[in-house]
Amino acid sequence: MPQHEHMERHRKLHGRRFDAEERERKREARLSHKRSEFAQKVHGLRAKLYNQKRFKEKATMRKTIAMHNERSNKHANDEAVADGAVPAYLLDREGVSRAKVLSNTVKQKRKEKAGKWEVPIPKVKPVADDEMFKVMRTGSKKNKAWKRVVTKCTFVGDNFTRKAPKYERFIRPTGLRMKRANVTHPELKTSFQLDILGVKKNPSSTLYTNLGVLTKGTIIEVNVSDLGLVTTSGKVAWGKMAQVTNNPELDGCVNAVLLV
Amino acid sequence: MPVYNFKTMAPVPSASDLVDIVLTRTQRKTPTVVHPGYKITRIRNFYMRKIKFTQQTISERLTAMLSDFPRLSDIHPFYSDLCNTLYDRDHYKLALGQINTARQLVDAVARDMIRMVKYGDSLYRCKCLKRAALGRMCTILKRQKASLSYLEEVRKHMSRLPALDPNTRTLLLCGLPNVGKSSFMNKITRANVDVQPYAFTTKSLFVGHTDYRYLRWQVIDTPGILDHPLEQRNTIEMQAITALAHLTCSVLYFMDVSEQCGFSIEQQCNLFRSISPLFANKQLVVVVNKIDAQPYEALEKEKRDMIERLVKEGGSNTTMLQMSNVSEVGVSSVKNHACDKLLASRVDSRVSTNKAESVMNRLQVFYPTARDGVKREAFIPESVLRERERASAEGGERKKTRKSRIGYAPTKDDVDDDDEEEEEGGDETPAESDDEMMVGNGGGGVGDGGRRKKTARELMWENGGPGVWAPDYREQYDLLDPEWRFDAIPQILDGKNIADYFDPDIEEKLRLLEEEEDRLQAEYEAADMERTDGDDDRLNEMESAQVAEIRERVKIARAFKDRSGGRNRPALPREIRGRVKDCHDDDAKLKADAIERRLKKVGVDASAMLERGRKREREGPREKRRQSRDARGADAEMEDVAAAGEEDDDDEDGGNSMKVDGDGRSRSKGAIKRHRKEREESARREQSMTRSHSRPREPSQMGLKDESMAKVARMVEKKGQRKWFGGSGEGDHTKSVHLVKWCNTGKKRNGTHYSR
Repeated sequence: MPQHEHMERHRKLHGRRFDAEERERKREARLSHKRSEFAQKVHGLRAKLYNQKRFKEKATMRKTIAMHNERSNKHANDEAVADGAVPAYLLDREGVSRAKVLSNTVKQKRKEKAGKWEVPIPKVKPVADDEMFKVMRTGSKKNKAWKRVVTKCTFVGDNFTRKAPKYERFIRPTGLRMKRANVTHPELKTSFQLDILGVKKNPSSTLYTNLGVLTKGTIIEVNVSDLGLVTTSGKVAWGKMAQVTNNPELDGCVNAVLLV
Repeated sequence: MPVYNFKTMAPVPSASDLVDIVLTRTQRKTPTVVHPGYKITRIRNFYMRKIKFTQQTISERLTAMLSDFPRLSDIHPFYSDLCNTLYDRDHYKLALGQINTARQLVDAVARDMIRMVKYGDSLYRCKCLKRAALGRMCTILKRQKASLSYLEEVRKHMSRLPALDPNTRTLLLCGLPNVGKSSFMNKITRANVDVQPYAFTTKSLFVGHTDYRYLRWQVIDTPGILDHPLEQRNTIEMQAITALAHLTCSVLYFMDVSEQCGFSIEQQCNLFRSISPLFANKQLVVVVNKIDAQPYEALEKEKRDMIERLVKEGGSNTTMLQMSNVSEVGVSSVKNHACDKLLASRVDSRVSTNKAESVMNRLQVFYPTARDGVKREAFIPESVLRERERASAEGGERKKTRKSRIGYAPTKDDVDDDDEEEEEGGDETPAESDDEMMVGNGGGGVGDGGRRKKTARELMWENGGPGVWAPDYREQYDLLDPEWRFDAIPQILDGKNIADYFDPDIEEKLRLLEEEEDRLQAEYEAADMERTDGDDDRLNEMESAQVAEIRERVKIARAFKDRSGGRNRPALPREIRGRVKDCHDDDAKLKADAIERRLKKVGVDASAMLERGRKREREGPREKRRQSRDARGADAEMEDVAAAGEEDDDDEDGGNSMKVDGDGRSRSKGAIKRHRKEREESARREQSMTRSHSRPREPSQMGLKDESMAKVARMVEKKGQRKWFGGSGEGDHTKSVHLVKWCNTGKKRNGTHYSR
């Protein structure tokens, strides 16, 4: 019956092998050789995974080494401000250089101005009708072919009621209806799961827009009230546009980027 | 009663390991081949199965984890409190809760994605959805990295917790650090706890077991407790507090009177007072320890008073005992006292419950009234009484110690005792040697002179203990002759295992066999007597000469035969046996006379053989006979034409029919008529017979005009056969080296080189 730290206890009572340290050192020394042997031998998916893992390890190693080196490294001390009174001509020397800030703001402004009408995915592959719709054959002999079933994900509003079967030309299957989207805020670099309010524009066709089809590049309106975003006039923004960035019918979810 | 064994919990894999386990299992256990050409329902099912299977595996794994870890509210409060101090209850619950949530999330993901796959219209779409589903499930698992690793640590620690049963008889050792708790533990149990001269050597609870009154007692060694408020106590102290609070046990509070532990007696008393609420409803023994360094009696008055006051404060179920681990004074008395107290209280508590009452109600004890005034005592033999008297005279105490030792290994005291005895026994040597003799002889009964007979066990200890000396069991063999007892019995004799030949009835069987042998011998001798006065079965001289000659001739014949080429057929064909071949050669071997002569010489009667040969010659071969029959038929017709009255030429072949009318020279008309009729009839019959019996020609001679042509054909056939005999012909199945264009040119996609 082992009680508690039995390994340590055993070591205390009986000691270790005389060559324990030596063996450990040797194992350590051999490790790189073993690794390289494996890396040269492995192929296929395992190689890919192994390389990824190794890459990560090496990156962290590099970082730690850099951290240890930090003491000897020379960095511009942005925060430091000289104590006491400083003559005016020296004020700008320390801290962040003003030119850099300026250039950054200019860049930012230009970007904003240009990005007013710019969307993350400017070019969208058009979706043809026969890809979008599946013909549903109706009638007792199944010889009528005027009904269509939408094969992509759609957004359907809460208060939607289906038409009578006789008049219902387009069917949007319930299994493919989406209510929420994972929206990324491009500046905050975070994503939120938000309710979809509506489909504003499907670039492929107005018909798709009306049906509420969600394909890659579609502009949707999402509910951002929880985020507490404020408009320029000071009101709390409720709905905001976002562009779908994935193929929802392939991924099973809607990913979008907020348009700001 | 649940037994708390946390050792059976399965290891908790790390998050990345869990992902690997789940995905490889899916890959191994679900079908892996699907083609776009399959029916879409089949493709959908293929991918749905994968998603469902993954989800099942994950939830199976997580459920196992959740059921493995004990729920803190369900286990004994001692354990739940211990877990709280060791692992932090909130953290523990949170981790398990997160695992539970993860399981639900995985289920939800699987449900959603399977619903999506149902609308999949192509293999690609189904596959993408499956990929997304598996990815999302694995992501959920990866998020549980922290709680999984925490749970694994907890599992490892829990599995190493001592197997402590909260409900059994328990002695609990507590006190300040370094007062001698662990040393006492080592004294009374085999737990082998680490003892060091510094505080907090014992960092956790240790469990040992000891025996008292044929019962098993659990002894718990706790880490030292310092005297400060509960909130300030660290994890190590809290374990001791938990044990004190929740276990029903007898508590041994250790006090160091020598103050070597670094705490004054006053401090120790203060600690006692501060934790005294935990002693409620427990049997308490205040153990005054280290009296070897500081005898209790020599202690200052105030300090002694302090301790005695303390004991008084403890209440009615508190006692004080003195002890020293070094000199081992009072160790066993402390143990016995604590055990007794606990046992008594346990019995009391059991009796006081309703359960005991229900049993007691059913018990009734009757004392039979005396029938008469006669005293009926047990019969004790005279010798036993004498023995008892003698023993009491010698001194009862020694006897008692001896008795208690039976069934136990000897202690140091016992060994000393034995030595004394031997010294004592020095002046009584004759008696003692006599005693051993008695044992050696295997005789029963009481030793002469009233001495007790030594047991084999005692002898063993005298002669050096187990492994050195063992009793010789051969002394007790019960054999016909006692001298045989020490005879060496070989296991193998003459290369044979004796045990194989051992038979309990061997004597009886041997007797029977010997009887039979005698009988047979007698019979044989009787028969021999008869024969000697009758004929002799030996050959006389003449006969032996004849035999020799026969053998010689056989030998010659054999040699002759060998020389003639060793043909494997009769030396003489059957057809020519006994037939005369060459009349002019007198010495021809095949002449009947020669054969007869030769065989007669050998001693064989050849007449039958020759007769057979002659008969065959007369009959001639089959074909000839057939021809002759045809000829006879033709003759008969001719005769028919010639009509009756004409003299028959008595053909040899004519047979009996001719003979019938051989004497028909003077026959009547009616007879003639009848004769004719008969003939006609017979001719007709014969014809029909021949027809019905006629055989078709042999297949090989079909289409050949006559015999000569058949002969030619046979020759040609033979010639042809000779030519290809053993070689290959057109009928042989051959496969030549031969390139088939469509097999060997162009792209090779479907099929193999040989079949497509």
